[in-house]
Amino acid sequence: MKIRWPLFVRRLHKWLALVIGLQVVLWTATGFYMVVIHIDRIHGDHLVRPVERPAVDMASLVAPGTVLAAVPDASEVRSSSLLNRPVWRVTSPGGVALFDAGTGERLGLIGADQAETIARNIYTSDEEVASVSLLQEAPMEMQGRKPPYWQVTFDRWDSPTFYISPESGELISRRHSLWRIFDFAWMLHIMDYDDRSDVNNLLLRTSTWLSVAMALSGAWLLVWAFPRRRKKKKTA
Amino acid sequence: MKRIRFTPLFFRRVHKWVGLVLGIQFILWSVSGAMMAFIDMKDVRDQPMIAADPVSVPGLLAPTDIGIGKVESLKLSMADGRPIYEIGESGSVRIVDGLTGDPVVVDEALVRQRAAVIVDAPIRSISLMNKPNLEAREFAGPMWRVDFDDAEGTSAYFAADTGRFLVARGDDWRLWDFFWMLHNMDYADRTSFNHPLIIVVGFGVLFLSGTGFYLLFKSFNRRDFRWLVRRKPSFDKTATAQRT
Repeated sequence: MKIRWPLFVRRLHKWLALVIGLQVVLWTATGFYMVVIHIDRIHGDHLVRPVERPAVDMASLVAPGTVLAAVPDASEVRSSSLLNRPVWRVTSPGGVALFDAGTGERLGLIGADQAETIARNIYTSDEEVASVSLLQEAPMEMQGRKPPYWQVTFDRWDSPTFYISPESGELISRRHSLWRIFDFAWMLHIMDYDDRSDVNNLLLRTSTWLSVAMALSGAWLLVWAFPRRRKKKKTA
Repeated sequence: MKRIRFTPLFFRRVHKWVGLVLGIQFILWSVSGAMMAFIDMKDVRDQPMIAADPVSVPGLLAPTDIGIGKVESLKLSMADGRPIYEIGESGSVRIVDGLTGDPVVVDEALVRQRAAVIVDAPIRSISLMNKPNLEAREFAGPMWRVDFDDAEGTSAYFAADTGRFLVARGDDWRLWDFFWMLHNMDYADRTSFNHPLIIVVGFGVLFLSGTGFYLLFKSFNRRDFRWLVRRKPSFDKTATAQRT
């Protein structure tokens, strides 16, 4: 039997499209969202001002070696600041601890008022703070980052939200509506509906190759899609 | 001007022409997407373990003892078994031995020594780069590149000022990065996916997928699905019809 190629390829393209077509629409639509809105905006760079670290004069500070006595297994001590006060930031397997660099005194965990002040200081806009809460469980948008952390939300249409470490007072993450939409689009794009992070899942692997087959069969169809004019010279 | 009539034929034509113009990129997106889903991301991201040794205090000199005064930043950590001060001054960083106060020179010998600790393979070549290359593009400033003679073809990068390990890249990453370039269409820098070219092509391809999806509803008829429905004796059908 002779295969009628145009008919065969058309059917192939049609059936592949029936299986994968909806996902292709989702890929192109979510892909378009991700390219149109700049990734820096998605990351919320416009929400925060860079933290200025003033110069530190070692003569007025306790030596970093002295705070090590309190954290014997510390792997790093670095200069930092907390609300314009110079601090030593000490990293150890147990986490991060802050010490007043002027007195060498260990600082406690960041409280609600401090977290709110830190958030206000770095926020580039002037809306009111809508809520401040200490989270013990990771919300979806923190992608499994280990709590606890302060969640400070501002009163604006895109609900900008800062996550601040109670240990270091540092900004861990910032989220807003465009990020949340992006994350949803990303979920649809990589077809990992649980964790939104596994780009090697079987469903995606299968679907992408089906899409390749659909695209190639479509390209093949183009061969017959633009009928050339019959050469008149021959018939004449 | 002729009014456009939104017939299936019109959508078929749009589908055909957008496919002709942008089809290549659609194929490339599919293929690169399929390859990125296929290559194991764990292998792509894999980095050598860097042990964070506890800082040893005995014999440690205070910053003021070694002439460190007003600085932008100061960091104390262990490297090569010694406490090291990393001093940020006037926009650049230098490192000082915490036991002697002597400046530590980041030269080829030091980088070799640190590289040997991180990757267990012979070093094939080592060079100082003035600018990051594509593999180390997430970082800035001059850096050392160390190529290893291992199965993965690992290259490790170290900052020229502090000798700090930055990143390691192997063949899995290189293959992945090639497809990532095809996917994001940023052929020079491979980083941005928000440039005008991809926005324009992405917009155009919406018409390819949109018309294609619409045409699905016009391209199938009941006959196409006959093989799915098990043939039943005709009296069955009439019987159900009467009952309902």
